[in-house]
Amino acid sequence: MNVDEFVKAFGERFPEAEVRVSENKMPHPKRRVWVEIDRERFHDAMKFIKELDPKAQFSIIIGIDAGDRLLAKYHMEMFWEDGESLSLVIGTSVPKDDPKLPTVTDIFPSALPYERENQEFLGLFFEGIPDPRRLFLPDDFPEGIYPLRLDETGIKPEMVKNAGHPYKIKKEGSK
Amino acid sequence: MNGKLEYWVKVPVGPIHPALEEPEKFIITLDGERIVNVDVKLGYNLRGLEWIAMRRNYIQILYLAERICGICSFSHNHTYSRAVEEMAGIEVPERAEYIRVITGELERIHSHLLNLGVVGHTIGYDTTLHLSWLARERVMDILEAIGGNRVNYSINTIGGVRRDLEEKHIRAILDMIKNYRNEVMPKIEEIFLYDPTVEARLRDAGVIPKRIAIEYSAQGPTARGSGVKKDVRYNEKLSVYPDLGVKPITPKEFTGVVKGDVFDRMVVRVGELWQSMELIERAIDQMPEGKIKAVPKDNTLLFQLKKAEGEGIGRYEAPRGELIHYVMGQKGKDVPAKWKMREPTFPNLFAIARALVGEQVADVPVAIASIDPCLSCTDRVAVVDANTGRKKVLTERDLLKLSIEKTRELNPNVKAKPEVVGVGCPRGGVL
Repeated sequence: MNVDEFVKAFGERFPEAEVRVSENKMPHPKRRVWVEIDRERFHDAMKFIKELDPKAQFSIIIGIDAGDRLLAKYHMEMFWEDGESLSLVIGTSVPKDDPKLPTVTDIFPSALPYERENQEFLGLFFEGIPDPRRLFLPDDFPEGIYPLRLDETGIKPEMVKNAGHPYKIKKEGSK
Repeated sequence: MNGKLEYWVKVPVGPIHPALEEPEKFIITLDGERIVNVDVKLGYNLRGLEWIAMRRNYIQILYLAERICGICSFSHNHTYSRAVEEMAGIEVPERAEYIRVITGELERIHSHLLNLGVVGHTIGYDTTLHLSWLARERVMDILEAIGGNRVNYSINTIGGVRRDLEEKHIRAILDMIKNYRNEVMPKIEEIFLYDPTVEARLRDAGVIPKRIAIEYSAQGPTARGSGVKKDVRYNEKLSVYPDLGVKPITPKEFTGVVKGDVFDRMVVRVGELWQSMELIERAIDQMPEGKIKAVPKDNTLLFQLKKAEGEGIGRYEAPRGELIHYVMGQKGKDVPAKWKMREPTFPNLFAIARALVGEQVADVPVAIASIDPCLSCTDRVAVVDANTGRKKVLTERDLLKLSIEKTRELNPNVKAKPEVVGVGCPRGGVL
C-alpha cells in the first residue's frame, strides 16, 4: 500500500480526520503522512491502522504543551516489508482540564514505556494503562509537578539551581 | 533451589540515551537458575535535555544533541539537522550528503567494533576485546582527522557539513579499509562466525523471536538479528543511500538460519562492518564536487529558521538502531517550540527484558551487552532470598565470573581467569 492508497482508505473510514501529506526535498523525495483526529475516534483509528498493517511499528509518542491544550503525536512505520515504508504521524489533542487519552497498549504493547513517560513528564494520563508506575522520575519527586509543562504545574523556579543558559546565568555578586 | 530469589542488576544504560556510564536497573526475579520476570527502572541519570533545549536556539541545540551520546555523536546531530531541514525546507547540497554518509559509516564501524569487543569480554574472551579495540583506534584516528575530535566531531550542521573531505583524508580512509579487509576482518570472522566455543556460548542465549521483535518494536541489529528486514536507510530512502545500494542485513545471508539469539546479533554486526566498508568505497567513488553547506553563515541560517514554522521529523539508522528526532518551529523565534528525541536502546531494552525471561543468570551480561548498551559499569546484583529475606550483593565481577565459568565448562582450554578485572568501575559493596 502506498501513500495515496493509505490516504484514500483512511479518509473513507474517518472522514472527519484531517489528513495532510508533506514531501521533503532530499535527493530522493520522501512523503510523510500527518493525521489529526479527535480524542473520541483516536482509539478506533489506531485499531484501523493495525488492521491495515498487522506489522506496523510503533516508534514514539511526542507530547506537547500547546497553551490550553496538550497535543500527542504518535509516529508509526507501516508496510516496511515492501521496501520503502510509509511514515505516519497521527496526532490528537486534549484540553488541559481533562488531560486523558485512551491507552493503545492493547493494540501496540510497545507503547507502554512511552505512555508512562508522558504521564510523569507532561501530566497526560492514559485510561486503562496496565502499568502506571513512574519510569524516569524518582519516587520522591513531588506529586502534581510535571517538568515539561509550561504552566503553573511545571517546574518552579526555586526547584532549579544554576540551570539554564550558560551565558545568561547571573554570577553571584554581579548585577 | 526451592526458595524464590530476586536479583537487582544495575546496568549502565542511559535513561535518555544509550551512552557510557549511565546507571539503570534491571530487577530480575529468579527461580533457581531460570529468570521468571524482568522489570526495568530508568532515570538514574536524567539530564533533562528537553528542558534545557527550551532555552537554546537551533544552532546551540546542535551541540546539545551531539552530547546526548559519545558513541553515536554524529548520528544524533545528523538526525536533528534532518528534522530541522524538513521543517524549514532547507535543501542540502549533494556533496554534503556524501560526506554525511561517509562519516556515518565510519562511526558505524567504530561502534560495531566496540560492541564486538564488549561481547567478547563478557564471555571471557578478552583477546577479542583487545583485538577489536586496537583495530578501532584506526577509525577513531580518521574521524579525528576529518572532524577534529575523537568523539563529538561536530562535522554536521543544519543544511550541510562544516568541513570538506580532502584528498589526504580519502587516501587515509581507503588505506584503512584495505587494512581492515586484509587483516582485521578475517580475525573477527574467525572468532564470531567459526569459533565453536563462541557459537556454543552465544547460541540460544537471549533469544528474541521475530514475533516479539516486531511486537516490541526492536530496532537496529537487535531486530535484524531476529530476521526483521528493517533498516531506516533502506525503508526511508534516506539521503543518498539508495544510490549506494543499501540493503538490510540479516544473519540468513551468512549462516543460513535465523534464531534471533546473541550469536545472530553478532553475525549482523560483522555483516554490517563489511557493508559499511563497501558503502564508504562507493560513496568516495560517486562523490560529486560542489559546495558543502546550504547556508554559509550561521546567523543567516538562524534568521531563515526564525521565519520557519511547522514540524519536521528526522530519522536515521544509528549503529544501534532507528533514531527519531522531532522538531516543531515557532514563527518569530529562533528557539524551537518542541524538540523530542527517541534513541534505539529504549525499545530494545524492553525487548531484551522480555527475551530474558526463561534464560539463565549467566547469560544476563552477554544478552544485555548484545543489544549494545554501554556495559562499562554493570554495577552490582543483589540476591534476595524471598523465604528468609536475606540479601546478598553480586558485583560486576561476580556476574562476569559466572559468565566466564560457563564458557570454560563448554571449552576447558579457554585461558581466561574467572577472577576478571572489569572494564568498568571496580566498585562493590552494599546496595
